[in-house]
Amino acid sequence: MRLNEDPSALEAFYRRHVDAVMRFVVRRVSDPHLAADLTADVFLAVLDSAHTYAPGRGSEVAWLYGIARNVVSGHHRKSALEARTTSLIAGRRLMDDDDLVRMEERIDAERQMRDAQKALAGLPEGERAVLELVAIDQLSVTEAAAALGIRKVTARVRLHRARRALENAASPTTAYMGAQT
Amino acid sequence: MNTNFEERLISAVMEEHARRTAAGHTAHPGPVRHSRVNRRLTRWSAVAAGAAAVTMTVTLFGGGATSAYAVTTEPDGSVRVQINEFRDSAELEAELADAGVKAVIDYLPANQTCQQSRGEQVAKGGQMKISTNSDGQGIEFEIPKGQIGAGETLVLAISVDPEGAVKPPVATIMKIIKGPVAPCEATALPLPSDKSTGSTDGGGPGQGNGPSLDYQTEDQPAQRD
Repeated sequence: MRLNEDPSALEAFYRRHVDAVMRFVVRRVSDPHLAADLTADVFLAVLDSAHTYAPGRGSEVAWLYGIARNVVSGHHRKSALEARTTSLIAGRRLMDDDDLVRMEERIDAERQMRDAQKALAGLPEGERAVLELVAIDQLSVTEAAAALGIRKVTARVRLHRARRALENAASPTTAYMGAQT
Repeated sequence: MNTNFEERLISAVMEEHARRTAAGHTAHPGPVRHSRVNRRLTRWSAVAAGAAAVTMTVTLFGGGATSAYAVTTEPDGSVRVQINEFRDSAELEAELADAGVKAVIDYLPANQTCQQSRGEQVAKGGQMKISTNSDGQGIEFEIPKGQIGAGETLVLAISVDPEGAVKPPVATIMKIIKGPVAPCEATALPLPSDKSTGSTDGGGPGQGNGPSLDYQTEDQPAQRD
């Protein structure tokens, strides 16, 4: 059974994970409208990639976070205008005032995580990706490896390196590392 | 309770899913970018030249249950491209651009390809293998994350099988070009089993047993560059 063949499976999948996806997004962006757009984009990307979803083959959270990561980092590569014109569902238009307040509360609640994430900005991409998923999003190393499409042992090695780099870089270079986005 | 963002979003997602199911799409249909019209027009001659082959194959697809192409971004950031039918290259280019890959794609008749030099070619390790689709239609390949760098363009010249646009192509030339890419100028494609390569009538020269990779060998390499 595939996610894109069964609407009820898709809806159940959405309900299981919509909270986690919104949390994932607000750990990375602090604009409530953009957070709504990206949440919508993640679920559109789920539709695009639904044929790659295999129940029972690894964690569905890992699969979903792999997609969410691509959507959020893809957004950083595009201009906001481009992102808006190419998305089929404008998440921000689905928000009323109450939703906006709730989204801002979510964003406030994750402030620390966003700060922590900024501190990782100086790490090489591969290492940062693993550490982010493990430390910020609380995935297991196995799940993080699956989300990134890398081997578990590779994830372990990268995690170890990333942690060591952060320890070594403890204070003097934090400002420099935080300067990157 | 249908009054908050989450509920509105699931409604919108389910609607989109229903729309795709109705349209026979299982993947992103690909937005049309009007800013690309100019380039599409300049390449119209190449597309028109292949039109005979394209129309010939419509019936092979019976029911149109598959879209012409699918672009999927994998969890590791690599981009998987499946071309089921060699048409709508501009839409495929737009879709690839969305996935972060700049591409110039030309479909040509079986006996033609683009000129050798399209710009400054980048030599990279042969990590991209083009395979025939497992169902024997079209081709697929995967672009590893970072393979096409900033300022680089993936350039594909696909010589469509005279038997039709859903068959694996006669030849696929894949290059990575740094900087500007020259528009495709159709030139004769030397076919090993057919010496009369000068023909440019585009209507399918009728060499039905030409060197097409048209049998269902999975993972048969189709790259001939």
